[in-house]
Amino acid sequence: MTTEKKKGTIHPLSLLAQEAYQVFSEMGFEIATGPELESEWYNFDVLNVPKDHPARDMQDTFWIKDAARMQKNFVALPASGLRHEQNFSASSSLVLRTHTTSVTARSIEQAGKEGRLPCAFVSIGKVFRNEATDATHEMQFYQIDGAMVGENISVADMKGVLTHFYKKMLGNDVKIEFRPSFFPFTEPSLEVFAKFEGKWIEMGGSGMLHPNVLLNLGLDPKKVQGFAFGHGFDRIAMVKWGISDVRLFYQGDLRLNQF
Amino acid sequence: MCAFFIRGTCVSINFNMLISYNWLKWYIPEAPRAEKLVNIFNYHICEVENVEHRVLNNTEDWIFDLKILPNRAHDLLSHHGVAHELASLLNIKFIDPKYKVPESKPTKLKIEIVTQKDRRHVGRIIRNIKVSPSPEWVVRRLESISQRSINNIVDATNLVMFDSGQPTHAFDLDKIEGSRLNIKDAKNGQKITLLTGEEKELDGTMIIISDEKGHPLDTGIKGGKYAEIKASTTGIIIEADNFDPVFARKTGQALNILTDARKRFENDLSQELAPYAIQELSALIYEMCPDAIFEDVVDTYPQKQKVRKLSFSADRISKILGMVVSEKEIENILKRYNYKFSARGGPASGWEITIPPLRLDLVIEEDMAEEIGRILGYDKIKGKVPQINFRPKPNEVYLKILWARNKLLDEGYSEVMNTTFCDKGEISVLASASDKKFLRTNLTDGLKESLKLNQANAPLLGLDEVKIFEIGTVFKKSGEEMHVAYNEENKIIEKNLNEFGK
Repeated sequence: MTTEKKKGTIHPLSLLAQEAYQVFSEMGFEIATGPELESEWYNFDVLNVPKDHPARDMQDTFWIKDAARMQKNFVALPASGLRHEQNFSASSSLVLRTHTTSVTARSIEQAGKEGRLPCAFVSIGKVFRNEATDATHEMQFYQIDGAMVGENISVADMKGVLTHFYKKMLGNDVKIEFRPSFFPFTEPSLEVFAKFEGKWIEMGGSGMLHPNVLLNLGLDPKKVQGFAFGHGFDRIAMVKWGISDVRLFYQGDLRLNQF
Repeated sequence: MCAFFIRGTCVSINFNMLISYNWLKWYIPEAPRAEKLVNIFNYHICEVENVEHRVLNNTEDWIFDLKILPNRAHDLLSHHGVAHELASLLNIKFIDPKYKVPESKPTKLKIEIVTQKDRRHVGRIIRNIKVSPSPEWVVRRLESISQRSINNIVDATNLVMFDSGQPTHAFDLDKIEGSRLNIKDAKNGQKITLLTGEEKELDGTMIIISDEKGHPLDTGIKGGKYAEIKASTTGIIIEADNFDPVFARKTGQALNILTDARKRFENDLSQELAPYAIQELSALIYEMCPDAIFEDVVDTYPQKQKVRKLSFSADRISKILGMVVSEKEIENILKRYNYKFSARGGPASGWEITIPPLRLDLVIEEDMAEEIGRILGYDKIKGKVPQINFRPKPNEVYLKILWARNKLLDEGYSEVMNTTFCDKGEISVLASASDKKFLRTNLTDGLKESLKLNQANAPLLGLDEVKIFEIGTVFKKSGEEMHVAYNEENKIIEKNLNEFGK
């Protein structure tokens, strides 16, 4: 068919995102989106990252110049009446989000407010880190982030969801393991590893949402608990298709569109 | 590990620690083979970044490069700590070293702390020492973890740090005037020449340790040149401080000092560690200088570490992990880890434990869920995909992106992505590792470049005509917008996603 011949080619990250969203939708997750220019509040404070934590340093995070004057134009205020509206307004700094966990946080907060619990969200989006670039590091890359919150959501549920996800992404032969880790916003914290074609690869972090995070999102940690995860999305694509250099994704080069 | 989800490493945070297998064996002679330890670390404690087999002077050793987790940096940046953890984890014998405590004489040494930043100072005077090369076992031990031997006294302070986790320091007693050391906030502009010879200017956020005449001896995280140990030194003051972690990090950053001492102080050490380290250091110096005369230890402890307790139950741990953990299993772990605990009966009411002073990471019930989970091993938890009563709503933004993408793909356009960063725009970042400090205000500029690149490659791609598009975020003073851009021959059309297709 001539029309089929003429069809354009999709960027590999978009293709993979469509597949990933499909897998999570089938497990009952809602797709979430949010701002790339984010408040310090949602990027760090809500997530229990201490005020003097090294992650907030300029060497790691892109802070925006003259943010105070522009903040209202960028970051949607939380719905009025939310527990931390005042805290939010007091912080006027803007950052390029360092993770899409900010989107997860916003979504859970909103769901709690609307009485939509239990809930489950997934988001794939661009994130930014201030670092020198090389084959495995970019100043911008994609992250897949998600969470599930309810009365009895546990580490076992998280293992089930993430193992299912990676089997769908990388094939049934892939082995998934969880090892001890640390993040300020989860407790317990676990690192997820995938064994693909004989090699163990670190996919990203996961864990049970820290009670402080649940409190910050207006939820009662005595009544609800849940898991969250954030994994490098470019990395999944690189592993799956044998792409060796992360920078290739953002060079506007059609030679990449072959999957 | 990095504070962010994803990526194992982070440029500014390094929690790596070199651990010698032979050194560990000193504490835990029943330790499993080195090859077996790798997985024990990986699955229960922290990631082994590298393991190296070394043969030094006909002695075999294995050096583990461990990525200590930030919440365990209080107690595991040390051989003692790692050995203790392994002994409890594996339920094997731990040999507590019995240090030979030298007899001591009354002292005139006085320590005055007039700053909040030093929470404890433990020090003592030692006379009649002889500075000389270290004994072979000390040199070998330091070299095994890539540390250079300097002389017996300096080596002893270093050895104690890598063994106990507590930084220690020694001053040349002959250079010190008076019998009192003052530890106080530095004055703006106050100067000190460090051991490296560099002169640093201090400010009021920092501290200075000085003698009665005001000679600057130490910044807390790095010693000064003035009272440096020399070959001619015959008397010393040894000391171990417990500094406020934020002070240590900020001073380290401001003065550009990246020492092993700073790394430990900025991760917050237990105040209970300092006397232990001084005892170990004294014993080492006694071994190396048998004629040394020890004076009494002076312990100045203005900010006492509180005894903390924590309650948790088997029911709650099981609910968090999603696996039934029995009371028996938990009590077994509590015993192995030497926790003092009181059973209050029944799986729901659980235990109250007294937290060991070094375990500053244990605060809430969830911390114990992590302890139990990692000790048992997360592989014991059986994964399941839960069914929850939640009705997902369609995401409007994503639906628009999908619609636009499919429409353009159907029309023969191919999708590209370009960088968000450029050299001009309306919004800029404060500091960047690259020269592109602005955020793009449009997709057009990037797409033009992309068009040129792909037109040049058209024969390679087998294309008669290059048709490309990008969907992405642009940043203007008025806000963040999602745009769609595509080319009509060499002309770029760019629209707001909300306007596209209307």
